[in-house]
Amino acid sequence: MNLLVSPRRLNLLFSLWLVFWGGSLEAAEKAQQGVQLNIGTILASNESDGFDSKLSKMKNQLEVIKYRSYHLVKEENQKVPWNGNAVFEIPGGRTLMVMPQEYRNNRVSLKVRLQEGEKPLLDTTVRIRNRGNFLLGGPAHEGGVLILSISATTQ
Amino acid sequence: MKTDCKTVKNSLGAWLDGELSASETERIRMHVEGCPSCSGEKEQWERLQVSLRGVLEGEASGVAFEPFWDGVSRRIFAERPWYARLWDWAGLAFVPQRLAWAIPLVIVALLAMFSLDQFFAGWHWGSNRGNGSAVDSIDGHGFNVAVFRESKTKTTVIWLFENQEDEDESSGEPASAESSF
Repeated sequence: MNLLVSPRRLNLLFSLWLVFWGGSLEAAEKAQQGVQLNIGTILASNESDGFDSKLSKMKNQLEVIKYRSYHLVKEENQKVPWNGNAVFEIPGGRTLMVMPQEYRNNRVSLKVRLQEGEKPLLDTTVRIRNRGNFLLGGPAHEGGVLILSISATTQ
Repeated sequence: MKTDCKTVKNSLGAWLDGELSASETERIRMHVEGCPSCSGEKEQWERLQVSLRGVLEGEASGVAFEPFWDGVSRRIFAERPWYARLWDWAGLAFVPQRLAWAIPLVIVALLAMFSLDQFFAGWHWGSNRGNGSAVDSIDGHGFNVAVFRESKTKTTVIWLFENQEDEDESSGEPASAESSF
């Protein structure tokens, strides 16, 4: 009993508790809450100049892909549980399916499938930073190409 | 009674040195006055004390204490160099017992540092450093696929060359596509 109440023991126990509490609390909370997925569908083309003001936060990212104009066609949010499947309709009869798989080291692992009708175009698994995004581009659309900004947020 | 005598005899030294409380002193004094055995024991203690005091005082008078106290006084009041004072301070501040508070403090600081990105989107020091995404697997189902990572904005781009499959196969050259990147 004396061992438990000595200040040094209490300090050690408090430290251990902090370590385990800090490490487990975050992961447990995120596991319960699911993932907020945000899909921005952007039409990029070289037919004209222009930059949609709604994309201003992504300007630096989009400059990597050197098109003359960028226009936000569609933006959709869905909250999805872990290992649940979120389906997003993409212009041109395409479908984007996103399944959040796990959260580790502040990264959200997403399994992503893009398909056109029933035909799969791309399957990928990407780990992105929580609240971060990645770009999936290439599908042709109305004289340009579609760029999908796929972001995931878990609180 | 016998037990009481034993207790009193055990306390005689402390009583004669004035180390007992008032009530204890009074209890011992009353017992000693009425108990020949304890009274005799007390007289032996007193004789012993007188003898010891005589011997010590006789010897002490021959010892020169002045130089000793002068030396102690000089060392106490002497101006010490800064590094000695620093060393003393460090010795006091960093003893293990005093450092105990530092362990939870360091843990709290680390947790705070690694959690700040939950509250401040621009914080890039904790678990947010290494901002880029990682592509674990990719399958283009026969289409050409490029993965591009731009270090400045830490942007990961997966590019699907949707209409280039036939052209690439015939020319044997990498897809140029419409994309400009």
